[in-house]
Amino acid sequence: MVGIGYEGFPRETPHYSFKELTFEAALKAYEDAGVDPRKDVDSFVVCEEDYWAGWSISDEGAPDQLGGVLRPLHTVSGDGLNGVANAFMQIKTGYFDVVVVEAHSKASDILTYEGILTFAFDPLFYRLLNAHPHFLAGLEMDAFLEDHENTEEDCAEVVRKNRENARHHEAASFGGQTSVQEVMDSEVLFRPLKAAEISPLADGSIVLVLASAEKARELTDQPIWIRGIGWSSDSPWLETRSLAEARYARWAADQAYRMAGLERPRRRVHVAEVDDRFAYKELQHLEALGLAGGNRAGALLREGFYEMKGDLPANPSGGSLGVGNLLEASGLFRVMEIVRQLRGQAGEHQVEGATLGVAQSWRGIPTATGGVAVLEA
Amino acid sequence: MVGEEYRRWEGDMEALYVYTAGVAGDRFFREIRDNERLMGTYCPECDVTYLPPRLYCETCFSELNEWEEIPNKGRVDAITVAYVDDKGERLARPKVLAMVRFLGANGGLIHVVDLPEEDVYRGMEVEVVYLPRGLRKGSFLDILHFKAI
Repeated sequence: MVGIGYEGFPRETPHYSFKELTFEAALKAYEDAGVDPRKDVDSFVVCEEDYWAGWSISDEGAPDQLGGVLRPLHTVSGDGLNGVANAFMQIKTGYFDVVVVEAHSKASDILTYEGILTFAFDPLFYRLLNAHPHFLAGLEMDAFLEDHENTEEDCAEVVRKNRENARHHEAASFGGQTSVQEVMDSEVLFRPLKAAEISPLADGSIVLVLASAEKARELTDQPIWIRGIGWSSDSPWLETRSLAEARYARWAADQAYRMAGLERPRRRVHVAEVDDRFAYKELQHLEALGLAGGNRAGALLREGFYEMKGDLPANPSGGSLGVGNLLEASGLFRVMEIVRQLRGQAGEHQVEGATLGVAQSWRGIPTATGGVAVLEA
Repeated sequence: MVGEEYRRWEGDMEALYVYTAGVAGDRFFREIRDNERLMGTYCPECDVTYLPPRLYCETCFSELNEWEEIPNKGRVDAITVAYVDDKGERLARPKVLAMVRFLGANGGLIHVVDLPEEDVYRGMEVEVVYLPRGLRKGSFLDILHFKAI
């Protein structure tokens, strides 16, 4: 990993088109990496989805804002961390030295967010229930709390922690001091899920520059290494997947940890950025990643284990709850944040002495798809 | 929604479809409409009965031709109560939704439970309630809701 750049993350960006958002992020990433996209980049990977863009076959419009016209480019209709996995594999073939990954959210352009999520449900079954798509998050949270040793207060605690952490992130839109009681008292929308536990949408673009080991040493004195990466999906059918456990995250972590030769991750990892689009998801994901000593994420949270000053800070950036839900850029945000931590460039939310970090993504409701990357300084 | 300072236009992407139920879906919805029963497909290779039924096994990729009747009674496995509608507007009457599992079937069904929210609990036995015969169209909504036994 040799370059990072972002433009974001306000609630809305009425002055930029989504292409211009990407352009601004790309300029920063290329400057950071010291590369010219017209000469030095061998391939581009863009993670986007037509319905988020409001534009059919939108991959045709992906190259120019990245400097990728007449260069190899492919899109991944999925989360940005899957794009990093694609770039990683391209570099591993030996045919590519420098690969760029981009993902963005122009959520403020979307007037019917719920409708797009509803379209992701089976049209012959649950789309017909005429229910808000977050009902599935309510079901998952209920199953998770029933099966695991966590409480509704633990989920509220995640909101408190992440909004507190976001106060120290220079680009977060939702940082602030929130008490557990305030979260518990917020409107119950999909019992047991409450309004304050749902991350609000934000805009932004993120661009990462990856290079082969040899090229990386040429470009920078401080490369961040991808030691392991993996991705996985639980059953495509809601009925045959686990509601209580994030098996996709466990399977993705198994792959990434095996590649990295990482055992006993809870003791070795210094910092983690995991998907917290809903508060219960952070706990569910920490457990699936083996960072919670089994099903004890809530207990460890209460002991301060995941706080900024704890043994394993989780979402020191503030995560989606504090920074905002960046749609398909959410996973890329988490990878970028780990890179910043390992470079010692995370500013006010720097975790002291972090040299090994884990980033994890989830594609959001109604998917059971996610990825994991293990990064090292 | 349209900003004063910056040019923005509202637009939509209208797209209409006809969704095909397919071989497995067709039989599933037909059995509900004509016989008030749930049917799943059985994979002898994996000893798994899928509900809803599928034409193929997601584990071993066998084509599935054996059908099994699933009992109309199941147990609540997960519950949520939606206080807002599909657009996020407050509902006058909250909607209780549950994942219900059935003995002998892998999978289950999510649907409305016709009970006050405080009366629904994990593990409770419920029964499938169908629309009256003349009103059934061979759709998922031929299942009206789950009720307590």
